[in-house]
Amino acid sequence: MLLARSRRRPDGVQGEFTMALVTYVQHDGARQDVDVPVGDTIMQGAVNNMVDGIVAECGGGLACATCHCYVADDWSEKTGEASEVENDMLEAVSAERKTTSRLSCQITMTEELDGIVIYLPATQF
Amino acid sequence: MATTAPASGPFQIPAHVPPELVRKLGITESPEFLANPHKFMAELHNTCPPIVYSYGDHSPAAWNLLKYEDAYFVLRHPEFFTTEGTGPFPRDPNDYWKIIPLEIEPPEHRKYRAIIDPLVSPKTVVAMETSIRAFANELIDGFIGKGECEFAKEFGRPLPVCVFLDIMGLPRDMMDEFVRWAMGLLHAQDRQIAGQVMAEVTAYLGTVIQEKRANPDDGVVSAIVHGRPGGQEMSAKETFGFVFFLFIAGLDTVFATLNNIFVWLAENPERRQEIIDTPDNINNVVEELLRVFTVTFSGRTVRDDIEFRGIQMKKGDRITSILPSCNYDPDVFPNPTEVNFHRPRKPVLTFAGGAHSCLGAHLARLEVRICIQEFLRRIPNFTIKPGAKIEYWPGGVVGPKDVPLAW
Repeated sequence: MLLARSRRRPDGVQGEFTMALVTYVQHDGARQDVDVPVGDTIMQGAVNNMVDGIVAECGGGLACATCHCYVADDWSEKTGEASEVENDMLEAVSAERKTTSRLSCQITMTEELDGIVIYLPATQF
Repeated sequence: MATTAPASGPFQIPAHVPPELVRKLGITESPEFLANPHKFMAELHNTCPPIVYSYGDHSPAAWNLLKYEDAYFVLRHPEFFTTEGTGPFPRDPNDYWKIIPLEIEPPEHRKYRAIIDPLVSPKTVVAMETSIRAFANELIDGFIGKGECEFAKEFGRPLPVCVFLDIMGLPRDMMDEFVRWAMGLLHAQDRQIAGQVMAEVTAYLGTVIQEKRANPDDGVVSAIVHGRPGGQEMSAKETFGFVFFLFIAGLDTVFATLNNIFVWLAENPERRQEIIDTPDNINNVVEELLRVFTVTFSGRTVRDDIEFRGIQMKKGDRITSILPSCNYDPDVFPNPTEVNFHRPRKPVLTFAGGAHSCLGAHLARLEVRICIQEFLRRIPNFTIKPGAKIEYWPGGVVGPKDVPLAW
């Protein structure tokens, strides 16, 4: 399901952007479909659309481990691997760390990731 | 960090500011504020428009943001609202230095912050838990037999300051000196005292920087002195601005937070018992107490003329996010003054947010958790010493002066 298209960014920044679909699934199962500009991170997609469950206190600086997410199994290959620094940070996340754990500030949306499903943990602290 | 810079000259309303939005709120200084600062900042939601232009006797005029959503936006949009020139400490305009990394904006900011992030990362901080817990118990050993303590002096102050000095690679026996400096810079509300303390701090930090340059260690000061943001060496002014900022940012905030929390714990025995009875909920307890006892503020400067929430703001206007008020925003935290350890999770703005979010946040959370756990484990029942009256410091870090406890 390719949703890529152009429009104003949700955070108010003007311009034409290709959008790709991200489905955020809350800990309790609630789902939210959000169009995220290609080039933004999955964290930004959540924060700019008031998706609960991602705190992102440091704003994407790889300094806080509060944008922890689980990438759906069938998408984890496409998102690539966590860097060494990200892996270090993931050791300190408050919810259970799984093999699909990532920091959502480190996954940048591409057209290839259109339709990705992201599961959110119960806690970020 | 907060605004304690002295105001210059008599206040005049700038032409673009609608007179009906001008207030003298008195945050950090008025008697009404000092009588009960957090109650005061919570009640602003009932008495005040969400954005006002406020001026004070000890702080420059600024747009004050009370709403969570507004502060959240401003903090996370450095392209509109910059930290440049917002540092609250007196500096000589002819020999100006930046407060680093606060006054450096993305993307440059990251290069500087990367130098110290590993030393305060969640993983590093978790590894400190055992030693902090042991130190907390040592302090408690020192006064538990007395049946009373001056919490601020005997626990709230030494614990975070000594942990901070350890991390910085500075000697613990400097504690009293550091405390005096922090008081002078943050609470004296006196330009002359601040200037004099500033000179002492400058001299001391200059010596420390030289020492660490000669003898590197694994502390934060050494990391800064030898740090190369983006591969470039820092100038002497940059190094100083970096060390100075951490020095001043790390001294007072956890101290004030603990003091606020322990006044509340002393006054609320049944809530204390609730915390003791639900040990698995401790992270929610800490987060909720950090929400209701937020101690500081966050300043920005308007980068270019902008309309924000229908208000015309001019390039150079100051903005202060009243973080304690934002954390009492009823639209985000229903029934906001109720301390509720089972709230649905919402990010608190205690540590600001975005690129400049508090880099000591992980450490602060850990320290607060350990202090609550260990104190309540050893001394589950205590009160404010009968007859004592809690008074608050004026200035940009909100907390009581003394916390006399008895058990």
